[in-house]
Amino acid sequence: MRKIDWRSILRNNAVTVMFVALCVLCLAYSGQSLSFVMYELFGRLSRNAFIVLALIIPIVAGMGINFAITIGAMAAQIAVLWVIEWGISGLPGMALAALMTVPLAAFFGFLIGKLLNKMKGQEMIGGLILGYFANGLYQLLFLFIFGNLIPLNAPGLVIKGSTGVANTIDLSTTRGFKYALDGLWQVSFADAALVMLVALLIALALRLVVKKNAVIRVSCSVLLTFAACLVSAIAPQLGLTLPMAIVSGVILLMFTIMLGGADFKLQKPLIYLGVLAVCTAIVRIPAVASLFAMVKVPMATFMVVGVLCLFNTALLKTRIGQQFRAVGQNRTVANASGINVDKVRVIAIMISTVLAGWGQLIFVQNMGSFQTYGAHEQVGLYAGAAILVGGASIRKATNGQALLGCILFHLLFIVAPNAGKNLFGDAAIGEYFRVFISYGVIALALVMHAWSGVQKKKKADEALKS
Amino acid sequence: MTKNKIQRVIAIVLVIASVVLAVLGAVNLPKRDAQEGKDIIEALRIRTLLNATGDGVVESYVAIAKKEAQAAAKAAGGGMKAIRAAVAKAEEETRAKYENTTTDYSTLDTAALEDAVAAYAAQLEPYYAVTVAAEEAYIAEHLAEAEAKAEAERQAKIDAGQEVGEEEKVEVDMSGFVATEEMTALLAKADEAFNGVGEALKGIYPVLDDSALATLKDTISSVVFQRGDSFTVQYDRYVAAGSGSAVANGTSAFLIRYADDLLYGALALVVAAAVVLFYELLCKKLGIPRIIIGLFFILLCFMSLWYDLDLSTLLSNSLVRMGMNSIMVLAMVPGIQCGISLNLGLPIGLVAGLIGGLVTIELGVPGAWGFLLAIVVGVIIAAVAGWLYAQLLNRLKGEEMSVTTYVGFSIVSLMCIAWLVLPFTSLKLRWPMGTGLRNTIGLDSTNFKHILDDFLAFDIGSFTVPTGLMLFMLLCCFIVWLFTRSKTGVAMQAVGNNPRFAEATGINVDKMRVIGTVLSTVLGAVGILVYSQSYGFMQLYTAPRQMGFIAASAILIGGASTSRCKISHVLIGTFLFQGVLTLGMPVANVLVPGSTISETLRILISNGIILYALTKSGGDSRA
Repeated sequence: MRKIDWRSILRNNAVTVMFVALCVLCLAYSGQSLSFVMYELFGRLSRNAFIVLALIIPIVAGMGINFAITIGAMAAQIAVLWVIEWGISGLPGMALAALMTVPLAAFFGFLIGKLLNKMKGQEMIGGLILGYFANGLYQLLFLFIFGNLIPLNAPGLVIKGSTGVANTIDLSTTRGFKYALDGLWQVSFADAALVMLVALLIALALRLVVKKNAVIRVSCSVLLTFAACLVSAIAPQLGLTLPMAIVSGVILLMFTIMLGGADFKLQKPLIYLGVLAVCTAIVRIPAVASLFAMVKVPMATFMVVGVLCLFNTALLKTRIGQQFRAVGQNRTVANASGINVDKVRVIAIMISTVLAGWGQLIFVQNMGSFQTYGAHEQVGLYAGAAILVGGASIRKATNGQALLGCILFHLLFIVAPNAGKNLFGDAAIGEYFRVFISYGVIALALVMHAWSGVQKKKKADEALKS
Repeated sequence: MTKNKIQRVIAIVLVIASVVLAVLGAVNLPKRDAQEGKDIIEALRIRTLLNATGDGVVESYVAIAKKEAQAAAKAAGGGMKAIRAAVAKAEEETRAKYENTTTDYSTLDTAALEDAVAAYAAQLEPYYAVTVAAEEAYIAEHLAEAEAKAEAERQAKIDAGQEVGEEEKVEVDMSGFVATEEMTALLAKADEAFNGVGEALKGIYPVLDDSALATLKDTISSVVFQRGDSFTVQYDRYVAAGSGSAVANGTSAFLIRYADDLLYGALALVVAAAVVLFYELLCKKLGIPRIIIGLFFILLCFMSLWYDLDLSTLLSNSLVRMGMNSIMVLAMVPGIQCGISLNLGLPIGLVAGLIGGLVTIELGVPGAWGFLLAIVVGVIIAAVAGWLYAQLLNRLKGEEMSVTTYVGFSIVSLMCIAWLVLPFTSLKLRWPMGTGLRNTIGLDSTNFKHILDDFLAFDIGSFTVPTGLMLFMLLCCFIVWLFTRSKTGVAMQAVGNNPRFAEATGINVDKMRVIGTVLSTVLGAVGILVYSQSYGFMQLYTAPRQMGFIAASAILIGGASTSRCKISHVLIGTFLFQGVLTLGMPVANVLVPGSTISETLRILISNGIILYALTKSGGDSRA
């Protein structure tokens, strides 16, 4: 068996490990009940995960963290304003806003991409400052054009006596689309796990239908897995205790891996399946279930997030995805091999900007209202910090890292103020601490990236000399 | 036609237009004080007076009609209800009758009134002149007292733990002011003259009686002459009251009113012509962003003239703001020259300077020594922090900008925690209840507030020259200039220009970068102290976060690039940037009242210029 090098794993994931430790520490001192933390975490995850995933493609294309996603968020907010003005509520309103976001954000993304092409190697600082600049234009638009030159009639959008659009835009009125997506299908956590299990099973079965090799063995393993799932799912009803449920789950899982293991391609999904089955069983046990008692999982939102994960994976397998990778690895080589580097980079930013806009839509439909002049400002910062916390660098990022980062980052956000209050007697310390962490994580990632670049160069120089 | 020719033609057209405007303005401006101007004002004044008294006359008619109706109803023997109905009906009818009739002013004989009003105005003018003089004397006498009182109130607020806002101008309580004998005498004379006006009005509106005149007196006197009236103020007031049609020749009156604006317009056109003519040269010398911002600044100057804003005060304010920001902008110079590009990690130095200021207030060292102590403490901390910061930057050459930005942001938010826990005890610094230091710490005369601004400051009209501030700014610029001429300074610039070449000639690249970074950080510390003493407040917590960007954009506006800069860029850039912001606010408030457009303007200019510099710094190649 291959020896696992724990030290190098620790070194390469220092930020993530540190963050896990920090989260555990803060959780221990926050004094908040786990069920509340879980409830908050799921809420935050459902509204923030999408926008973090929007960062992946520019990173792959070698443009670093796209801090200009704030502009995508602005596009979404423009769309929201008009949908409310027209009074289209509920899911149609949300769909229309999403539709309107596409051309707006794509156009902005096109401009951002063009500009960033003029400052290659400095995309991140450029994106950040471009975000600030665009914020100025956004203020012009919302303060002096909307509501003044272009009149708005919907109640609450314009406040008499002040210039421009009101400070807060409310989506919870009859004209808004609060919970348009979240409210579609909400289930308890245990049911959500079961739904996911079934979904994965179906997906696997579909894959088997397509691939015909080793039919019998594979179908056996699938059957066994199904049994594992079933046992786990209904374990409490059968009167099984926690250890018994786990043991039975694990035994079935081992069988599954043994059978499926021969087929290398199936090994990984089957392991996922098994783990998921065990988890499903565990959350059925009352002691564990109480942790998730407050959690209502908005299935539709998470499905959208899941679809985005699939989209990211699938896109990177297409031709344009390969071009993203090529450009990200080395612009000169990519150019020499006939790729239009500038165009590829513009496309990457356009996709990211549109996705960021949708992400902001998901965010505001969950929150139910947003600060007209402030909701977009921190989007880039928090999303960027989150993906880095998950172990991504500014050259490499995956869906898993984005999701893990999102969980850890927002876990810290939930528990830090209370932990600060309990440890230092002041909640403000916790507040400032989490802002410090957001900036600090990005600074650290940048320093580490720059450092490794310099080291590589040094090594190359030395190799050249000798 | 070639481009060159078009340029010339446009320039010539502009110059001709400018000459026309200038002639018109120059001819009409002196007319304000001549007979023509007086005639216009008088015509407008009479009309406004008649309008104003006309309203009073209607009231008089109404009162009479009501009385008559009441008497008639009583005589008819109706009850209270009938009387009330009759009175209301009479009022309604009378109002309808008189309010909708427009007086035909041309038929009125106003000769007597004109004379009386002129006499009245002639009496009011010296009265107000004397009043203003007397009040000023009173204010000068009691100013010290009022200031002491305001200071005591402020202190009481601080002790009570309330937030102390921006200090307003100290107002002297005028309740103790007694009219002087001279004033009373002049007022009596004016009252006499008013009687003349009253008689004349009675001649025109026979219905006016003495009691109606008494109620109209304030209206009439405010129409005739107000405190501090000049030609333009009176003209605007009368026209706003709807008397514009009284002037026989509207165009010439208009020209006289706006004669000064015509002259400004002429000047503006000359500037425009020069810009059109020398466009290429300017582009080459200055670059497009600087032309845009420079022209914008000039445009704002003209607009503040057109809107009759006090340009010299505004320019004086811009000078102060230039001074208070200049040292922070100067801090960019060593950074750019030693090759770390724009030092967006400037907050490190700012925070060090703020700590220096806090120490001074904590120890209670007053005045110039306190300021000096603050600078010394700030510089020491900044030097240490800057050295550490430089060690970090030396390990990541070539990627400084984004790293410095986020390191700066991190330091600011780390210091937010520090401000909460640092063990300062002075109540000027802490919240009396709760933990931590105040958000904004008000400086006062016992600290170093305005210590530079007020040093040798003098006034030229309404233009205040902050001599001390300017001297300090020039001194700092001179020191940095001297340094760039020294052997070390030249070596440092060589490193910034071409590190490989510098290394080949035996210069210690890392050491030079350390020197530049430390110097930049130290200047940042001094800069924030200069800023605070002028602003009157030290701002803690998140306030320093954006200041690095503001400083960076100022030097870029001045003509620097991310790899090259001079001291002159600092001075020009800071003046232009701060000038645009200072002038932009009042002008914007005239255009869109109560808006925050000048803050939006700052965001756009500051970030726009940094973006421009970034696009110029590289990445033109396709790969």
